[in-house]
Amino acid sequence: MSPILSVKDATKRYSTPEGGTITALDGVSLDVQPNEFVTLLGPSGCGKTTLLRTISGFEDLEGGSIEIDGATVTHLPAHRRPVNTVFQRYALFPHLSIARNVAYSLEVAGLKRAEIGSRVGEMLELVGLDGFGDRKINQLSGGQQQRVALARSLVARPKILLLDEPLSALDKNLRQKMQQELKTLQEEVGIAFVFVTHDQEEALTMSDRVAVLSDGKIQQFGTPEDLYRRPRNEFVARFLGAGNLLGATVSECKDAGAIALLESGQVAHLPSTDAACGEKIKLLIRPEDVRMDCTKDAGALRFEGTVRQVLFVGTDYIVHIETDDGTELKATLRPRAEDRGAITAPGARITLFVQQEALHPVTSAKVA
Amino acid sequence: MVGRDTSQGRKMLSLLGLLAPPTVFLGVFFITPLAIMVIYSFLEPGLYGGVVWNFYDLNYGRILGWADTRYEKFDPVYLTIFLRSVRLALTTVLLSLVICYPAAFWISRMPQGRKNFFLFLITLPFFVSLVVRLFAWVLILRPTGFLNQALMEIGMIAEPLNLIFTDTAVVIGMTYVFIPFMFLPLYASIEKLDMSLVEASADLGATRLQTFRRIILPVTLPGIVGGSIIVFIPSLGNFIVPSVLGGAKVMMIGNLIEQQFLSARNWPFGSALGMMVMAAVLLLLMIYVRMMTREEEYSTAAKVKES
Ligand SMILES: Nc1ncnc2c1ncn2[C@@H]1O[C@H](COP(=O)(O)OP(=O)(O)OP(=O)(O)O)[C@@H](O)[C@H]1O
Ligand SMILES: [Mg+2]
Repeated sequence: MSPILSVKDATKRYSTPEGGTITALDGVSLDVQPNEFVTLLGPSGCGKTTLLRTISGFEDLEGGSIEIDGATVTHLPAHRRPVNTVFQRYALFPHLSIARNVAYSLEVAGLKRAEIGSRVGEMLELVGLDGFGDRKINQLSGGQQQRVALARSLVARPKILLLDEPLSALDKNLRQKMQQELKTLQEEVGIAFVFVTHDQEEALTMSDRVAVLSDGKIQQFGTPEDLYRRPRNEFVARFLGAGNLLGATVSECKDAGAIALLESGQVAHLPSTDAACGEKIKLLIRPEDVRMDCTKDAGALRFEGTVRQVLFVGTDYIVHIETDDGTELKATLRPRAEDRGAITAPGARITLFVQQEALHPVTSAKVA
Repeated sequence: MVGRDTSQGRKMLSLLGLLAPPTVFLGVFFITPLAIMVIYSFLEPGLYGGVVWNFYDLNYGRILGWADTRYEKFDPVYLTIFLRSVRLALTTVLLSLVICYPAAFWISRMPQGRKNFFLFLITLPFFVSLVVRLFAWVLILRPTGFLNQALMEIGMIAEPLNLIFTDTAVVIGMTYVFIPFMFLPLYASIEKLDMSLVEASADLGATRLQTFRRIILPVTLPGIVGGSIIVFIPSLGNFIVPSVLGGAKVMMIGNLIEQQFLSARNWPFGSALGMMVMAAVLLLLMIYVRMMTREEEYSTAAKVKES
């Protein structure tokens, strides 16, 4: 399948008022398949909005190219690109009714009134706003405005829909509801969505693939599970959820795998790693992979320590442990009823296990 | 119950207290003179100034077409002056709009410091007396003036243009005087214009022209209308600019009114002319309000029917 969107080596610099320059995009390459839900994720200022704006045509690239559906659009003005955007603050036209907001792209394209009418009606129905057509923008709630913005940018059947943090203005409940609606809508209309967020949970739950950005570079691009379980570097590991990163040194590399020596002196067998022998790496252990029960796995790591802090979060306990060699370890535990007493008191002694399969080596170097 | 009653009474009282000063002020200094004008416009002019307390509709007759047949035939000269005033005022509005709209756009997109500087420049003319500034225009526009000299120097014209004491000179002068009045309301609404609307429009496939016509113009319309009204009203009744730059040749209704009140001492006729100006302004405002309400109805009712 050929990609619907193909960004190659995109580079964008801004000059700051102080006279310096900021590299907002630094050789970004990204392929999006038709019908794919791709999320751009990263901390504030990493270039997410900039990347989106270069795709929609509001910013020119200094280097690189953009192709949409096989056609190069790098130098095409925004109004001639077959992509539409849902803006963070919606940018709905305040002087037009809901129906005319939605109709806008069809009106400027010069479609017949009858066709505009029926397509606007269809679209409003799709986003659950039929009957609201004659209302003004300021007579709608935030969630409804969101839907109008969606309807407005989908009605012209773009090849790609770009969404810049469309949910960030909504409260938590509405946000979760809209996440689902958005996902359903995407499947229904069957076009590619490129979605921007700095909320990692949102990115993981909604996307087919996630691109993690930092400092204008893509650190990793893959499925949510890939990113969570097999982050390429420390930045990605830290950015996607809580994790323990233990320092280690690769001591032996074989074809079948590697052996890493933890700072605590323990030995870990790794399935494989890109790291060279003698290189310092980090081992990622997700808190939910830390277990209280001993396993049959002979190579499991064993940590003995003292409970420092316990947070009860409903079904689970988040437990901070200081091991005897001074390592901090965070674990999400779901102890059996009879074991609960053993962990809930700070100061209690505890023994924890981590299976070899749960270890994932990451380098501390970012993508440069 | 009692407590709430007294607190509401207090609120009423403080409201009255707050509203009283402006009400009294407007009553004394606006409504009363206006009432005097209205009454005078229906009174007979005295032979040597002053009024005779008889009902007399020929003040309006002289302007609109029924003359006092005993003394004179109807002469449309006053109507001509009135219509010319309307025309010059409208031209002034249009010209200042054309000048201010792009300028307001340009300044509103500047960084803050530079923006403030330019806004200060716009208000700078207020620091110098109006009459002095208008005489400067005489120096610029007269046959041996700066403009003609410059144009002849670069060879665009062979002999001096006849600029001073023409309609053109009056329009230039009024535009010059009223540009700040047009600029400020325009600037206020353009400054508020959300640029993401412009981007959204382009994103949805609109060309620059379409974006301007369908988004920028309607969204900044309140500023356009506000500025136009604020410029039109004083332009219509203006008498300083035409008397300095129009000389004896270009008379506007304002000059006529001034003449009737001061040199001719025909206060009833002057009042009637004043009423004409007011009627024109009110008519325009009414049309504006009608247009606005219809616009609103249109934008809410349209499309719903079709879909
Ligand atoms: N118009 C501009 N002029 C100068 N610098 C800019 C401009 N727009 C963005 N930048 C800079 O480019 C970098 C990337 O900005 P961008 O808006 O893409 O970040 P972002 O990832 O969208 O952040 P956020 O999550 O806060 O929206 C930032 O350092 C920002 O300061
Ligand atoms: Mg952003």
